[in-house]
Amino acid sequence: MASSAPGAGLPEYVTRRAGGFYRSANPSTKLAIAALEVVAAFVVPGWPGPLLVLGAVLATAAAARRLRGLGVIALAASPIVGSILLVNLFLLPGASDPIARFGPLAPTWSGLWFGLQTAARLFAFSAAIALVYLTTAVDDLLADLARRGLGRRAIFVVGAAVQMVPRTIERAGEIVDAQRARGMDTEGRFWQRARGIVPLAAPVVFGALTEVEERTMALDARAFSAPGRQTLLRVPADRAPDRVLRWAAVLAVVAIVGLRVAGRLG
Amino acid sequence: MDLLRRWVARQFTTRVIVLMPVAIAINIVLGATIQQALKLPIYLDSIGTILVGVLAGPLAGALTGILANLIWGYLLPAPVGSSTIGPFAITAGVIGLLAGIWGQLGLFRPRRTGAVNVIGAVVAVVLVGALAVYTYARAYASPEAFNNNVSGNSAITIDQSKVFFLVVMLVYVVLVAWAIFLRRNVGAVYAIGAGLVTGIAAAVVSAPIAAVVYGGVTGSGTDALVAAFRAGGDSLYQATLKQGLLSDPMDKMITSFVVFFIIGSLSRRFIARFPNGERALGDEAEAGAPAASES
Repeated sequence: MASSAPGAGLPEYVTRRAGGFYRSANPSTKLAIAALEVVAAFVVPGWPGPLLVLGAVLATAAAARRLRGLGVIALAASPIVGSILLVNLFLLPGASDPIARFGPLAPTWSGLWFGLQTAARLFAFSAAIALVYLTTAVDDLLADLARRGLGRRAIFVVGAAVQMVPRTIERAGEIVDAQRARGMDTEGRFWQRARGIVPLAAPVVFGALTEVEERTMALDARAFSAPGRQTLLRVPADRAPDRVLRWAAVLAVVAIVGLRVAGRLG
Repeated sequence: MDLLRRWVARQFTTRVIVLMPVAIAINIVLGATIQQALKLPIYLDSIGTILVGVLAGPLAGALTGILANLIWGYLLPAPVGSSTIGPFAITAGVIGLLAGIWGQLGLFRPRRTGAVNVIGAVVAVVLVGALAVYTYARAYASPEAFNNNVSGNSAITIDQSKVFFLVVMLVYVVLVAWAIFLRRNVGAVYAIGAGLVTGIAAAVVSAPIAAVVYGGVTGSGTDALVAAFRAGGDSLYQATLKQGLLSDPMDKMITSFVVFFIIGSLSRRFIARFPNGERALGDEAEAGAPAASES
């Protein structure tokens, strides 16, 4: 079998190597910080929670040169943000402070503020999580979790799924194009589109399932189910600052939740 | 304790471990690309989860659902990755768990249209219908406010619970009729009924997530329904629950129906090698031509 470069054919988000500010931090530390940011965004009431988190995430992303990636995330989140703003602007129950009147519609100030706050909270949450995968290679994350005791089966499932999705998407795109070329209507009326479920879904599903037998035999041949601990070829660094940050994040999560439960956060 | 450990280990054979990432990829790809290509108001993102649940068991199904949503939400970049999916991992886990229970009960097994099977199917339809009546009557308890505020016509009083219950049951009856009269397979009645129950459970579980995390709005076409219910004076939770009770049962019925026929189309040898495979296989005579010819 011809050898190829490691990671050849795999997308950049799978093979990306750690390097530079925040990108070289330990994956578990980044997960702990993201957890803290998510908790802060949702548990701290009013504007301070989402704004503080957004500020921290944007500053970190800028320093790690990942602002452009966050921009794509923001673009992808625009439909939901638009929906949140529109629904709350016009339909917030109990709001009685109209900005203007357009026939039966009356956007309200309280709806606008509630919508903006919900959107800020949502974006803070999305950006905090996104920053982890924008700065961490999936195999680094899995290697670190394996070192911390996550089983090889879970590692295999996550790693294989992440690698399989781009290939399956490509195949699904080919199937959609092929079925359209054969005259399948994907733009017509509801029933015509509904009739396309089986011709599109079935080849994707059966195509993917054909790999199961071969992969099972390959794993069995490599003693995948054999008992005992596996040796990890590459382990991400876990320096003292990483450990301090990680524990500080965990303690901060406990403190924020505790203060909220005790009613000290308003 | 040993029994429990063996029950858990039995669900995670190498074959199941290989099937899980395939199922996760199927969930994500069908949910992200095929759904977009067809622009239908259903999600199609739990076919893989239900497949694993039925073939492997409740824990494998639940884990597949949870991991699918976490990977889709947090490990894949936009535009495929979608952070709105992540928090619904709990819902996906419940869907996989229930699929595993249905699989262990043999509800995805093909059955011929014999007298005993037909009587069993009628009993199943009555039970599922009773559960749906109870749920919808409880969830849609205030139809007047909806009509007064949304339609602006207080003279027309439509009982929401009846309307939405009828819409869902209409889909149920159409799918059941198709299975019985066109495919000559009573087994699909059980599978579709299981899908309806799963959909109701999914709606109940996902409503508080949608309300708390997203303020009831998830950027999909169903947001219009949530907005309409809120305009009718419903609380955020009530609005998301009502929306979920309309879209989730239909989605899960169609998904279960598709999974039922996927399992029926796969070779008996392939299915039988999974932990619950024997329970998903009918007698060879009942299984239909493609499966029967394989063995």
